[in-house]
Amino acid sequence: MDFADLAAFTIHDAKNRLALVATRAEASGDAETLRGILESSASLTRLLTYYKAEKNSLGAEIDARVPADLVNELLQDISKQTTLTVSADLSAAPTLWFYDENLVRMVLLNAIYNALRFAQKKIVISAVDRNGWLEFSVADDGPGFPPEQLGAIDNMLPVSRDGTGLGLYLAQRVAALHSNAGRTGRIELINKGGAVFTLRLPQ
Amino acid sequence: MAIHSPYSDKSILILDDLPEMRSSLRTQVGTLGCEKVAVSSNVKDALEQFKTTRFDVILCDYYLAGGTDGQQFLEYLRTRNVIGRGVLFVMVTAEKGYQNVVTVAECLPDDYLLKPFTAEALKGRVQRLVEKKKRLLKVDAMQDKGNWPGVIVACDEIITAKDRHMVDAMRIKGNALIMAGKADQAVEFYQQMIAMRPMPWAQLGLARAMHQSGDVAGGKNALQSLIIESPKMMAAYDLLGRLHQETGDHDEALAVLDSACEISPNSLARHRAIASVAEETGDFSRVEQALNQVVKKTRNSPLRETKDFARLGNALTEMGEPAKAVQLLEEARTSFKEDANNPLLAAVEAVAQQKAGRPEQAEQALSRAMQGGVSNLPQDIAMAVAKACLATGKQDEGESILKNLVQGAPDATGLHGKISGVLREHGLTERADALVAESMREIVQLNNEAVRRARAGELTAAAEMLVDAAQRLPGNVQIVTNASFALLFDVYTNGLDPAKIRLAQQFQQSAQAQNPKHPKLAEIADLMGRIRNKYAAGKA
Repeated sequence: MDFADLAAFTIHDAKNRLALVATRAEASGDAETLRGILESSASLTRLLTYYKAEKNSLGAEIDARVPADLVNELLQDISKQTTLTVSADLSAAPTLWFYDENLVRMVLLNAIYNALRFAQKKIVISAVDRNGWLEFSVADDGPGFPPEQLGAIDNMLPVSRDGTGLGLYLAQRVAALHSNAGRTGRIELINKGGAVFTLRLPQ
Repeated sequence: MAIHSPYSDKSILILDDLPEMRSSLRTQVGTLGCEKVAVSSNVKDALEQFKTTRFDVILCDYYLAGGTDGQQFLEYLRTRNVIGRGVLFVMVTAEKGYQNVVTVAECLPDDYLLKPFTAEALKGRVQRLVEKKKRLLKVDAMQDKGNWPGVIVACDEIITAKDRHMVDAMRIKGNALIMAGKADQAVEFYQQMIAMRPMPWAQLGLARAMHQSGDVAGGKNALQSLIIESPKMMAAYDLLGRLHQETGDHDEALAVLDSACEISPNSLARHRAIASVAEETGDFSRVEQALNQVVKKTRNSPLRETKDFARLGNALTEMGEPAKAVQLLEEARTSFKEDANNPLLAAVEAVAQQKAGRPEQAEQALSRAMQGGVSNLPQDIAMAVAKACLATGKQDEGESILKNLVQGAPDATGLHGKISGVLREHGLTERADALVAESMREIVQLNNEAVRRARAGELTAAAEMLVDAAQRLPGNVQIVTNASFALLFDVYTNGLDPAKIRLAQQFQQSAQAQNPKHPKLAEIADLMGRIRNKYAAGKA
C-alpha cells in the first residue's frame, strides 16, 4: 500500500471516530469540544483535498444547488459550536446556482472557522446574486485581515492569518474550478467593520 | 421526551455494520423526534425488515460488511422495486467521491451525508429532502407506474413554477422523454439544458437521447468528451461501452470498461458488462475472470443474481471445463431454492451435464428449462435454451425456438449471425445457411397473405392473422404496426369496436417504444384521427 492510499484510509478511519465523539459532545451540549472535533475533521478534509489538487485530480462536480440551503446548513452546524451570534443574510440570495456543493462547503467552513477565531460578537454568512455572480460571504466584527492580505486573491500563495495557509490556497483552487462562459470564480478579502471573506462564483 | 415533531410518524431504517455508529446515528435521529426507528447491521437483516415495514427514510453507511456496499444495496432495492421513488435513501460516508461510481442515474441516492455531521445538520437535511419528496410526490408516483407522458406534464408544471425544484424536474423530464420514446424532443431538451450549463447529467442524457434517435456516432462523441471533462462520471464509460458493443466494436468496448474498472473496481454492473462483451467475442476466459469477481462478491449475499452463476457456468463449459461448471450450477440450483427452475440456469446446466458425459441429468435439466414454455423467454435465455436443445440432440425443438427469435427480430442481423453460428457449432451447416432465410420468408408470406385478404375485403380475417403473429412476435415492429393498422382499418370500415381499438393502441404503444421513428406509426396516427372524425361526425 503506498503512502497516499494509507493516508486516505487513515483519514477515513479518523473521521469515523471523530463522528462518534462529535455525537456525544453534541448530545451533552459541549460546544467547545464539538467545535474542536469538527474543526479537526475539516482540516483532514482539506489535507485530502490538497493532495487531490496537487495530483491534478481535483474536479468540480457542478450541479444546480440552492445557496440558501447551504448557508442555513452551515448556520445550524456552527450555532451548535459557539456562543457568538452567527446569522445568515439571504435577502438577495438566488433560488438556484451552479456549483460543487461539497467543495464550496469546505471553503466556507474554513472561512467560518477563521472568523470564529477573530470575531468579537458576531458573524454573518450571506449569499447574494450580484450582476450574474453569486457571492458567498463570511463577515466578522474582529480586527480585520492584515493589510498585505487584502484584495483579490489570485497569486496562489499559501497565505493566512493563522495556521498553515492551506485553507486560502484551497479556496483559490476551488474558485478557479468554477468557470462558465469565459468567467472564472475568485476569492476576495476586504475589511469592512471586520474581516469579510467572499467567494464569487459565475453564473 | 415526546415532543411534537413533523417526523414523529416517519419510519426510519439505519443500516451500518459498526455497532457504535448505529447507536450514534440512532441518537441523532432521536433528536429529530422520530419514534419509529429500526436498525440493521447487514443487508440480509435489512431486507427482512422491508418485508414487514414500510420505511420513509433509509440512512445507509457506504461501507457495509459482507462484501457489499451501500451503493450495491441501493441498486438492488431500486432495480427490484423493493422501494418506490417516494422513499428517501441517504448515503452516509466519511468522504465525498462516491457520487460518480453510480452506473445508472436511477440508482443515485437522494443525498449524501458526509461524516462527521451534527444532529442539527441531519435534521435540516432530512427536512429539505422530505419537502422535496412532497413537491415531487405526483411525479414520483407516475414514474413508479411508468406513466412517462404524465411525468412529462407534471415536470413541466414544476419547471414553469421556477422554484427550487426546477432543475430536479428537468432532470426527471429528460429521462421521461427518453422513456416515452420521444428521442428527438429529448435531444432538443438536453441541448437546451447544456446551453444553460453543461452539467454532466445533461451531457449523459444527451448521449442517451442521441443513441435512441439513431445517432450512435453522435452519442459516442458526446460521451467521449464527457469522459475527458468528468473522468469520474462512471455512467459515461458504461454507456460508451454499450454503444461500442452495439456497433460491434468489441475491443473499444472492453478498453472503455477496463479503464472504468481501474477508477472504480467495485461495480458489479460493470463486471457484468465486461462479461457480456467478452461473451460476444467468445473470450470466455475473460468472461470467467469478470463473473468470478461478481460471484465471489455476492455468493453469500442476498444481492446475488442467479444469472451470474448461469453465465459463469456457461463460460466454464465453453472453456472445456464442464465438470467445474456442473459443480457450480448444481450449487446454485440447490442453494437458491426460489430459482431452482430458472430457465437460463437449467439450460446452461443441460449443456454442461451433456458435455460432462451425463445425458440423463442433461435431459432433466432441459425439461426444467422448458417447463414454463419457451415462447415468452427473453432473447438471451431463449438462445441458451435453443443451444441446450441442439446439444442434447433435440434439433426440431431447438430450430423452432431459433425461428421464433429470427421472426421476432427481423432486423437484428447481429442476432441472425449468432443463430447461424450456433447451428454451425452443432454441425448443422446446411441449416445454418437456410434457417434465417426460411424464417424471414415465412414472415413476408404472412404479411402478403394479410394484405391479399384485406384487399379482398376480409378485413377482420386479415387483422386476426396479424394480431396472432404480433402476439407471438412482439419484437417484430413491422408485424406489430401492421396488426395495429389492420385492426383500426377494420374499425374504420366496419364500425366501432372498443376492444379492437384498445388492442390497436397497445400495439401502437409497443411499437412506439421500440422504434419511435417507424414510418407506419404516422399512418396509424392518421387513421386514428380519421376514425375519430368519422364517428364523432356520426354522433353529431
